[in-house]
Amino acid sequence: MKRYSNAILCLAVAALAFTARPLSAGGANPVKAKASAIQVEMIRSDEIKLSAEFQISLYENLIRQLEKQGGFEHVYRDGDRRAANAPDLVVLHSTVRGFKEGSERARRVTTVAGATSITIHCEFKSTDGKVLREKDVNGKVWFFGSNLRATYDFAKKTARVAHDNFNSSEHKS
Amino acid sequence: MKRTKFLSSFAMALAFAALASCGANAQQSSNPANKAIALTGLPGVKDDAKGTLTVENGKLHFTHSKKTSELTAADIEDVVTGEDTQASVGKTISTLSMAAPYGSGRFLALFRTKFDTLTLRYRDENGALHGVIFALPTGGAEPIKKQLLTQGAHTSVGEERAAASANSSSKEQKQ
Repeated sequence: MKRYSNAILCLAVAALAFTARPLSAGGANPVKAKASAIQVEMIRSDEIKLSAEFQISLYENLIRQLEKQGGFEHVYRDGDRRAANAPDLVVLHSTVRGFKEGSERARRVTTVAGATSITIHCEFKSTDGKVLREKDVNGKVWFFGSNLRATYDFAKKTARVAHDNFNSSEHKS
Repeated sequence: MKRTKFLSSFAMALAFAALASCGANAQQSSNPANKAIALTGLPGVKDDAKGTLTVENGKLHFTHSKKTSELTAADIEDVVTGEDTQASVGKTISTLSMAAPYGSGRFLALFRTKFDTLTLRYRDENGALHGVIFALPTGGAEPIKKQLLTQGAHTSVGEERAAASANSSSKEQKQ
Protein backbone atom coordinates (compact mmCIF):
# COMPACT_ATOMS: atom_id res chain seq x y z
CA MET A 1 0.00 0.00 0.00
CA LYS A 2 2.85 2.32 0.95
CA ARG A 3 4.58 1.43 -2.32
CA TYR A 4 1.53 2.61 -4.31
CA SER A 5 1.30 5.88 -2.45
CA ASN A 6 5.01 6.52 -3.03
CA ALA A 7 4.60 5.82 -6.75
CA ILE A 8 1.62 8.20 -6.94
CA LEU A 9 3.59 10.85 -5.10
CA CYS A 10 6.54 10.45 -7.51
CA LEU A 11 4.19 10.72 -10.50
CA ALA A 12 2.57 13.84 -9.11
CA VAL A 13 5.96 15.48 -8.52
CA ALA A 14 7.07 14.59 -12.05
CA ALA A 15 3.85 15.96 -13.54
CA LEU A 16 4.25 19.19 -11.56
CA ALA A 17 7.83 19.55 -12.76
CA PHE A 18 6.74 19.16 -16.39
CA THR A 19 3.90 21.64 -16.11
CA ALA A 20 5.94 24.17 -14.15
CA ARG A 21 8.72 24.34 -16.74
CA PRO A 22 6.72 25.94 -19.61
CA LEU A 23 4.97 28.25 -17.16
CA SER A 24 8.24 29.62 -15.88
CA ALA A 25 9.55 29.96 -19.45
CA GLY A 26 6.46 31.97 -20.44
CA GLY A 27 6.71 34.17 -17.39
CA ALA A 28 10.27 35.32 -18.13
CA ASN A 29 10.32 38.87 -19.44
CA PRO A 30 11.70 38.97 -22.98
CA VAL A 31 14.39 41.47 -23.88
CA LYS A 32 12.78 44.32 -25.80
CA ALA A 33 14.58 45.45 -28.93
CA LYS A 34 15.46 49.10 -29.13
CA ALA A 35 13.27 51.06 -31.52
CA SER A 36 12.47 54.72 -31.13
CA ALA A 37 10.26 54.94 -34.20
CA ILE A 38 8.05 52.75 -36.36
CA GLN A 39 6.91 53.17 -39.93
CA VAL A 40 3.64 51.53 -40.90
CA GLU A 41 3.44 50.30 -44.48
CA MET A 42 0.04 50.10 -46.20
CA ILE A 43 -1.73 46.78 -45.57
CA ARG A 44 -1.20 44.45 -48.53
CA SER A 45 -3.93 42.11 -49.72
CA ASP A 46 -2.64 40.61 -52.95
CA GLU A 47 -4.11 37.11 -52.64
CA ILE A 48 -7.27 38.00 -50.74
CA LYS A 49 -9.48 40.71 -52.17
CA LEU A 50 -10.29 43.20 -49.46
CA SER A 51 -12.59 46.19 -49.88
CA ALA A 52 -10.93 49.62 -49.96
CA GLU A 53 -12.69 50.78 -46.80
CA PHE A 54 -11.54 47.70 -44.90
CA GLN A 55 -7.94 48.24 -46.01
CA ILE A 56 -7.98 51.92 -45.06
CA SER A 57 -9.71 51.19 -41.77
CA LEU A 58 -7.01 48.61 -40.88
CA TYR A 59 -4.24 51.09 -41.72
CA GLU A 60 -5.73 54.08 -39.90
CA ASN A 61 -6.66 52.06 -36.80
CA LEU A 62 -3.20 50.51 -36.71
CA ILE A 63 -1.51 53.92 -36.75
CA ARG A 64 -3.88 55.24 -34.08
CA GLN A 65 -3.33 52.28 -31.74
CA LEU A 66 0.46 52.37 -32.22
CA GLU A 67 0.44 56.06 -31.32
CA LYS A 68 -1.69 55.31 -28.25
CA GLN A 69 -0.05 52.22 -26.81
CA GLY A 70 2.89 51.19 -29.03
CA GLY A 71 5.48 52.93 -26.86
CA PHE A 72 7.30 54.59 -29.77
CA GLU A 73 8.48 58.19 -29.87
CA HIS A 74 7.33 58.56 -33.48
CA VAL A 75 4.89 56.65 -35.65
CA TYR A 76 5.44 57.33 -39.35
CA ARG A 77 3.01 56.60 -42.12
CA ASP A 78 3.73 54.81 -45.39
CA GLY A 79 5.98 56.97 -47.59
CA ASP A 80 6.77 59.59 -44.93
CA ARG A 81 10.14 61.08 -45.94
CA ARG A 82 10.94 62.10 -42.34
CA ALA A 83 11.33 58.43 -41.40
CA ALA A 84 14.63 58.28 -43.32
CA ASN A 85 16.35 60.30 -40.56
CA ALA A 86 14.81 58.41 -37.63
CA PRO A 87 17.27 56.40 -35.50
CA ASP A 88 16.39 52.77 -34.65
CA LEU A 89 13.52 52.68 -37.10
CA VAL A 90 11.35 49.56 -37.34
CA VAL A 91 9.20 49.03 -40.41
CA LEU A 92 5.90 47.16 -40.04
CA HIS A 93 4.80 45.15 -43.09
CA SER A 94 1.29 43.64 -42.89
CA THR A 95 -0.16 41.13 -45.33
CA VAL A 96 -3.74 39.82 -45.22
CA ARG A 97 -3.71 36.02 -44.93
CA GLY A 98 -7.35 35.32 -44.18
CA PHE A 99 -10.65 37.15 -44.21
CA LYS A 100 -14.15 35.97 -43.37
CA GLU A 101 -16.78 38.65 -43.71
CA GLY A 102 -19.60 38.00 -41.25
CA SER A 103 -22.93 39.75 -40.91
CA GLU A 104 -23.82 42.36 -38.32
CA ARG A 105 -27.48 41.44 -38.76
CA ALA A 106 -26.79 37.75 -38.03
CA ARG A 107 -24.70 38.72 -34.98
CA ARG A 108 -27.43 40.89 -33.52
CA VAL A 109 -30.22 38.42 -34.18
CA THR A 110 -28.53 35.17 -33.18
CA THR A 111 -25.53 36.24 -31.01
CA VAL A 112 -23.66 33.06 -31.99
CA ALA A 113 -23.46 33.43 -35.79
CA GLY A 114 -22.08 36.03 -38.18
CA ALA A 115 -18.65 36.70 -36.68
CA THR A 116 -16.21 38.66 -38.86
CA SER A 117 -12.60 37.55 -38.72
CA ILE A 118 -9.40 38.76 -40.34
CA THR A 119 -5.91 37.27 -40.09
CA ILE A 120 -2.90 39.42 -40.94
CA HIS A 121 0.75 38.41 -41.04
CA CYS A 122 2.77 41.17 -39.39
CA GLU A 123 6.54 41.51 -39.94
CA PHE A 124 8.58 43.99 -37.94
CA LYS A 125 11.73 44.64 -39.97
CA SER A 126 14.81 46.76 -39.53
CA THR A 127 15.71 49.29 -42.21
CA ASP A 128 18.15 46.79 -43.78
CA GLY A 129 15.31 44.28 -44.23
CA LYS A 130 16.14 41.93 -41.35
CA VAL A 131 13.01 40.43 -39.75
CA LEU A 132 13.05 41.31 -36.04
CA ARG A 133 9.68 39.82 -35.12
CA GLU A 134 6.84 38.25 -37.06
CA LYS A 135 3.41 37.11 -36.00
CA ASP A 136 -0.04 36.29 -37.37
CA VAL A 137 -2.53 38.61 -35.69
CA ASN A 138 -6.25 37.93 -35.72
CA GLY A 139 -8.97 40.60 -35.57
CA LYS A 140 -12.52 39.56 -34.73
CA VAL A 141 -15.93 40.96 -34.01
CA TRP A 142 -18.16 38.43 -32.29
CA PHE A 143 -21.27 40.04 -30.85
CA PHE A 144 -21.76 43.78 -31.27
CA GLY A 145 -20.56 46.31 -33.78
CA SER A 146 -20.09 46.62 -37.52
CA ASN A 147 -17.70 44.46 -39.56
CA LEU A 148 -15.15 47.29 -39.53
CA ARG A 149 -14.78 46.78 -35.79
CA ALA A 150 -12.61 43.74 -36.59
CA THR A 151 -9.99 46.23 -37.83
CA TYR A 152 -9.97 47.91 -34.41
CA ASP A 153 -9.46 44.55 -32.69
CA PHE A 154 -6.55 43.73 -35.02
CA ALA A 155 -4.97 47.15 -34.46
CA LYS A 156 -5.15 46.82 -30.68
CA LYS A 157 -3.54 43.37 -30.73
CA THR A 158 -0.77 44.47 -33.11
CA ALA A 159 0.01 47.51 -30.99
CA ARG A 160 0.26 45.17 -27.99
CA VAL A 161 2.74 42.95 -29.90
CA ALA A 162 4.81 46.04 -30.76
CA HIS A 163 4.69 47.27 -27.17
CA ASP A 164 5.80 43.87 -25.82
CA ASN A 165 8.73 43.50 -28.23
CA PHE A 166 10.12 46.98 -28.75
CA ASN A 167 11.03 49.91 -26.58
CA SER A 168 12.45 53.35 -27.24
CA SER A 169 15.16 52.73 -24.59
CA GLU A 170 16.89 49.33 -24.49
CA HIS A 171 16.21 47.52 -21.21
CA LYS A 172 14.71 44.41 -19.70
CA SER A 173 11.16 45.01 -18.58
CA MET B 1 -51.39 34.88 -20.85
CA LYS B 2 -47.80 34.29 -21.93
CA ARG B 3 -48.88 34.29 -25.53
CA THR B 4 -50.60 37.67 -25.28
CA LYS B 5 -47.50 39.09 -23.55
CA PHE B 6 -45.31 37.79 -26.34
CA LEU B 7 -47.63 39.14 -29.04
CA SER B 8 -47.81 42.57 -27.40
CA SER B 9 -44.00 42.83 -27.16
CA PHE B 10 -43.70 41.66 -30.76
CA ALA B 11 -46.17 44.35 -31.86
CA MET B 12 -44.25 46.99 -29.89
CA ALA B 13 -40.99 45.98 -31.57
CA LEU B 14 -42.68 46.17 -34.98
CA ALA B 15 -44.02 49.65 -34.21
CA PHE B 16 -40.56 50.84 -33.12
CA ALA B 17 -39.02 49.48 -36.31
CA ALA B 18 -41.62 51.15 -38.51
CA LEU B 19 -41.07 54.49 -36.76
CA ALA B 20 -37.30 54.18 -37.03
CA SER B 21 -37.30 53.30 -40.72
CA CYS B 22 -39.73 56.14 -41.47
CA GLY B 23 -37.38 58.54 -39.67
CA ALA B 24 -34.38 57.28 -41.61
CA ASN B 25 -36.20 57.66 -44.94
CA ALA B 26 -37.32 61.18 -44.04
CA GLN B 27 -33.71 62.14 -43.23
CA GLN B 28 -32.47 60.73 -46.52
CA SER B 29 -35.00 62.53 -48.67
CA SER B 30 -34.27 65.99 -47.14
CA ASN B 31 -30.84 66.46 -48.79
CA PRO B 32 -29.28 63.24 -49.98
CA ALA B 33 -26.35 64.66 -51.93
CA ASN B 34 -24.22 66.52 -49.39
CA LYS B 35 -24.82 65.02 -45.97
CA ALA B 36 -21.96 62.77 -44.92
CA ILE B 37 -20.38 61.12 -41.92
CA ALA B 38 -16.57 61.09 -41.63
CA LEU B 39 -16.17 57.52 -40.41
CA THR B 40 -12.41 57.65 -39.89
CA GLY B 41 -9.09 59.14 -40.96
CA LEU B 42 -9.86 62.82 -41.54
CA PRO B 43 -7.21 64.88 -39.69
CA GLY B 44 -8.61 67.08 -36.94
CA VAL B 45 -12.04 65.48 -37.15
CA LYS B 46 -13.42 62.96 -34.68
CA ASP B 47 -14.61 59.59 -35.95
CA ASP B 48 -18.28 59.48 -36.95
CA ALA B 49 -18.55 63.28 -37.18
CA LYS B 50 -21.62 64.39 -39.13
CA GLY B 51 -21.30 67.19 -41.66
CA THR B 52 -21.62 68.17 -45.30
CA LEU B 53 -19.32 67.24 -48.15
CA THR B 54 -18.73 69.54 -51.15
CA VAL B 55 -16.21 69.77 -53.99
CA GLU B 56 -15.21 73.32 -54.96
CA ASN B 57 -12.18 74.99 -56.54
CA GLY B 58 -10.20 71.76 -56.74
CA LYS B 59 -10.78 70.93 -53.08
CA LEU B 60 -12.95 68.57 -51.09
CA HIS B 61 -14.57 70.38 -48.15
CA PHE B 62 -16.05 68.64 -45.12
CA THR B 63 -17.96 71.12 -42.98
CA HIS B 64 -18.94 70.03 -39.47
CA SER B 65 -19.90 72.03 -36.37
CA LYS B 66 -18.83 75.35 -37.97
CA LYS B 67 -15.36 73.97 -38.88
CA THR B 68 -14.15 73.01 -42.34
CA SER B 69 -11.55 70.41 -43.28
CA GLU B 70 -10.09 70.50 -46.77
CA LEU B 71 -8.32 68.06 -49.05
CA THR B 72 -6.79 69.08 -52.36
CA ALA B 73 -8.26 66.92 -55.12
CA ALA B 74 -4.91 66.68 -56.95
CA ASP B 75 -3.33 65.05 -53.86
CA ILE B 76 -5.88 62.24 -53.88
CA GLU B 77 -4.31 59.07 -55.28
CA ASP B 78 -7.37 56.90 -55.16
CA VAL B 79 -11.14 57.42 -54.89
CA VAL B 80 -13.29 54.31 -54.44
CA THR B 81 -17.01 54.06 -53.80
CA GLY B 82 -18.76 51.16 -52.07
CA GLU B 83 -21.95 50.09 -50.37
CA ASP B 84 -22.73 49.00 -46.85
CA THR B 85 -25.68 48.68 -44.50
CA GLN B 86 -26.39 49.93 -41.00
CA ALA B 87 -29.06 49.31 -38.43
CA SER B 88 -32.16 51.44 -39.01
CA VAL B 89 -32.76 51.56 -35.29
CA GLY B 90 -30.57 53.86 -33.23
CA LYS B 91 -28.41 52.79 -30.29
CA THR B 92 -30.84 53.96 -27.58
CA ILE B 93 -33.85 52.12 -28.97
CA SER B 94 -31.67 49.10 -29.70
CA THR B 95 -30.45 49.01 -26.08
CA LEU B 96 -33.97 49.51 -24.70
CA SER B 97 -35.31 46.75 -26.93
CA MET B 98 -32.88 44.29 -25.34
CA ALA B 99 -35.12 44.34 -22.27
CA ALA B 100 -38.09 43.09 -24.27
CA PRO B 101 -39.20 39.59 -23.21
CA TYR B 102 -38.40 36.38 -25.11
CA GLY B 103 -35.63 38.12 -27.07
CA SER B 104 -38.22 39.85 -29.24
CA GLY B 105 -36.04 43.00 -29.31
CA ARG B 106 -33.67 41.20 -31.62
CA PHE B 107 -36.36 41.46 -34.26
CA LEU B 108 -35.38 45.14 -34.70
CA ALA B 109 -31.94 44.08 -35.93
CA LEU B 110 -33.56 42.80 -39.12
CA PHE B 111 -34.27 46.35 -40.24
CA ARG B 112 -31.25 47.87 -41.95
CA THR B 113 -30.71 50.80 -44.30
CA LYS B 114 -28.19 50.94 -47.13
CA PHE B 115 -25.57 53.66 -47.44
CA ASP B 116 -22.69 54.51 -49.76
CA THR B 117 -19.05 54.71 -48.72
CA LEU B 118 -16.46 57.01 -50.26
CA THR B 119 -12.88 55.93 -49.55
CA LEU B 120 -9.97 58.24 -50.33
CA ARG B 121 -6.20 57.81 -50.23
CA TYR B 122 -3.97 60.87 -50.35
CA ARG B 123 -0.42 61.95 -49.49
CA ASP B 124 0.44 64.96 -47.37
CA GLU B 125 3.37 67.39 -47.90
CA ASN B 126 5.82 64.83 -46.40
CA GLY B 127 4.65 62.06 -48.72
CA ALA B 128 2.86 60.26 -45.88
CA LEU B 129 -0.13 58.15 -46.90
CA HIS B 130 -3.51 58.91 -45.32
CA GLY B 131 -6.86 57.20 -45.74
CA VAL B 132 -10.31 58.67 -45.18
CA ILE B 133 -13.71 56.95 -45.21
CA PHE B 134 -16.98 58.83 -45.56
CA ALA B 135 -20.50 57.41 -45.31
CA LEU B 136 -23.13 59.04 -47.52
CA PRO B 137 -26.80 58.40 -48.31
CA THR B 138 -27.40 55.90 -51.11
CA GLY B 139 -26.43 57.41 -54.46
CA GLY B 140 -24.45 60.23 -52.86
CA ALA B 141 -20.90 58.89 -53.32
CA GLU B 142 -20.74 58.53 -57.09
CA PRO B 143 -21.42 62.23 -57.96
CA ILE B 144 -18.74 63.36 -55.49
CA LYS B 145 -16.29 60.84 -56.96
CA LYS B 146 -16.99 62.19 -60.47
CA GLN B 147 -16.50 65.77 -59.30
CA LEU B 148 -13.21 64.85 -57.63
CA LEU B 149 -11.97 63.06 -60.76
CA THR B 150 -12.75 66.06 -62.95
CA GLN B 151 -10.82 68.29 -60.55
CA GLY B 152 -7.61 66.26 -60.56
CA ALA B 153 -8.11 63.23 -58.28
CA HIS B 154 -7.16 59.72 -59.44
CA THR B 155 -8.82 56.33 -59.11
CA SER B 156 -7.49 52.79 -59.27
CA VAL B 157 -10.83 51.27 -60.26
CA GLY B 158 -10.70 52.49 -63.87
CA GLU B 159 -7.04 51.43 -64.17
CA GLU B 160 -7.84 47.93 -62.90
CA ARG B 161 -10.70 47.62 -65.35
CA ALA B 162 -8.48 48.83 -68.21
CA ALA B 163 -5.74 46.38 -67.22
CA ALA B 164 -8.26 43.52 -67.03
CA SER B 165 -9.72 44.36 -70.44
CA ALA B 166 -6.20 44.71 -71.93
CA ASN B 167 -5.26 41.28 -70.55
CA SER B 168 -8.42 39.66 -71.93
CA SER B 169 -7.91 41.24 -75.38
CA SER B 170 -4.26 40.09 -75.53
CA LYS B 171 -5.35 36.54 -74.60
CA GLU B 172 -7.95 36.60 -77.37
CA GLN B 173 -5.33 37.73 -79.89
CA LYS B 174 -3.00 34.87 -78.85
CA GLN B 175 -5.81 32.35 -79.31
